[in-house]
Amino acid sequence: MKDNDRRDGWTKRPEVCVALTGVDKWFGAVQVLHDINLEVRKGEKVVVCGPSGSGKSTMIRCINHLEKHQKGRIVVNGTELTDHNRDIDRVRRDVGMVFQNFNLYPHLTVLENCTLAPRWVKGVARKDAEALALGYLERVRIPDKAHFYPSQLSGGQQQRAAIARSLCMNPKIMLFDEPTSALDPELVREVLDTMVQLARDGMTMVCVTHEMGFARQVADRVIFMDAGRIVETAAPEEFFGNPRESRTRTFLKQILH
Amino acid sequence: MDFTYILDALPDLMSGLKMTLMVSGLAIILSCLIGALGAALRTSGFKPAEYAVRGYVEFIRGTPYLVQIFFIFYGLPSLGLRFSVFWSGVIALTVWASAFQIENFRAGLAAVGRGMNDASASLGLHRWHHALFVVLPLAARAALPSSMNTLVATVKNSAYLQAIGLVELTFVAVDRIAYDFRAIEMFFTICVIYLLCVFALSGLGHLVEQRLNRPFAGR
Ligand SMILES: Nc1ncnc2c1ncn2[C@@H]1O[C@H](COP(=O)(O)OP(=O)(O)OP(=O)(O)O)[C@@H](O)[C@H]1O
Ligand SMILES: [Mg+2]
Repeated sequence: MKDNDRRDGWTKRPEVCVALTGVDKWFGAVQVLHDINLEVRKGEKVVVCGPSGSGKSTMIRCINHLEKHQKGRIVVNGTELTDHNRDIDRVRRDVGMVFQNFNLYPHLTVLENCTLAPRWVKGVARKDAEALALGYLERVRIPDKAHFYPSQLSGGQQQRAAIARSLCMNPKIMLFDEPTSALDPELVREVLDTMVQLARDGMTMVCVTHEMGFARQVADRVIFMDAGRIVETAAPEEFFGNPRESRTRTFLKQILH
Repeated sequence: MDFTYILDALPDLMSGLKMTLMVSGLAIILSCLIGALGAALRTSGFKPAEYAVRGYVEFIRGTPYLVQIFFIFYGLPSLGLRFSVFWSGVIALTVWASAFQIENFRAGLAAVGRGMNDASASLGLHRWHHALFVVLPLAARAALPSSMNTLVATVKNSAYLQAIGLVELTFVAVDRIAYDFRAIEMFFTICVIYLLCVFALSGLGHLVEQRLNRPFAGR
């Protein structure tokens, strides 16, 4: 009976893209991640929330090895993250990331920001890289900003440029670390719209965000972290409607006001 | 002031100037290379290299420049290292300027910020491409103003090399004064020549700065 269930599960559900198993992480003597277990399947959208300092950024930065974990296993599209550069490179080829502060290259135009990695990592010819980039800039609705420098764009436009830059590497998984929390309230919407569109196109996404409207709209699962642990995992309706843990309830009360 | 005297001395001064420019030019090129290398080592995270570079910078900044020149010209031969006056001058000037360029470039590197690293890493950009296309232009722009100061000081500090007998601009002037006693004319003239060199250099610096300063403001 049990075996049957599992087999059905395997045939119905998409493959696992990201798997963290028993991951621990220390910064020096301070442990910031405790026994993190997380599976993200192809096409799934996972929203991560939790109080400041709970380890949300650290967790998703471990997925593309911007931070190194000390214990446990992280497997991305079948590649386990080890200290070997070959594995790290392979994982990073599949994983794009968008940051709170955009991290666009300030000395390059938006178009140059978008073409740098395709040209030098994948060896795409300049013309092709530019055509590709313009396509993505159109998708994030700033094709007219291609030849502007980041400092000449609004925050929302900069973040959309950063999303386009990431998409130019054709990632299979996108990580978002509070992509709207550095933005003025009136600019949040345009970035969230871009992310919703990306979600509709079937991208696998892990988003650290406190935009609960976005979570309700696209998330398959919401994860609540506190003090370096995953405290609760639930579908959005359940997470917002009927949270199990008292810590989750306290947190939700704070941010929903 | 006797301008015909100045005109008369001009050919000598010009050959002195040529030497000044040659020594400073070589020292500038070498010190920029050493500065970039030293700054990279200084921030490499490899402790022995970091301490070595730091020690070098502290030593050069903490000792008189003239003593460094004498050390290289009079001291090194007794250790079996003998250089001509010209190369002793180039080495002394380079050794001095490098210490300051290392600090200038280190400040430039510090201005680049951790976010750029995250961006390039997440895009899978190779660290050498990241260094060349991201770190170098951003660090150069941040380091340029202080680096220009050091370049100007390098040209001016070549004058000290007359102390070991290098026949550069100041040497020529002092030498002629010993025969002709026309101190005012001579010192006035070489001051003007040094000023012109410095103006040319800082003009060049401004051009580079404008080029690097294209619209990107911010960080
Ligand atoms: N580079 C670092 N060195 C040392 N400690 C760090 C470093 N980065 C993060 N930490 C610590 O790790 C813990 C988790 O940080 P993290 O940035 O992952 O939290 P977060 O949940 O993303 O918080 P926020 O909502 O404020 O972004 C915090 O206590 C933080 O102080
Ligand atoms: Mg964070």
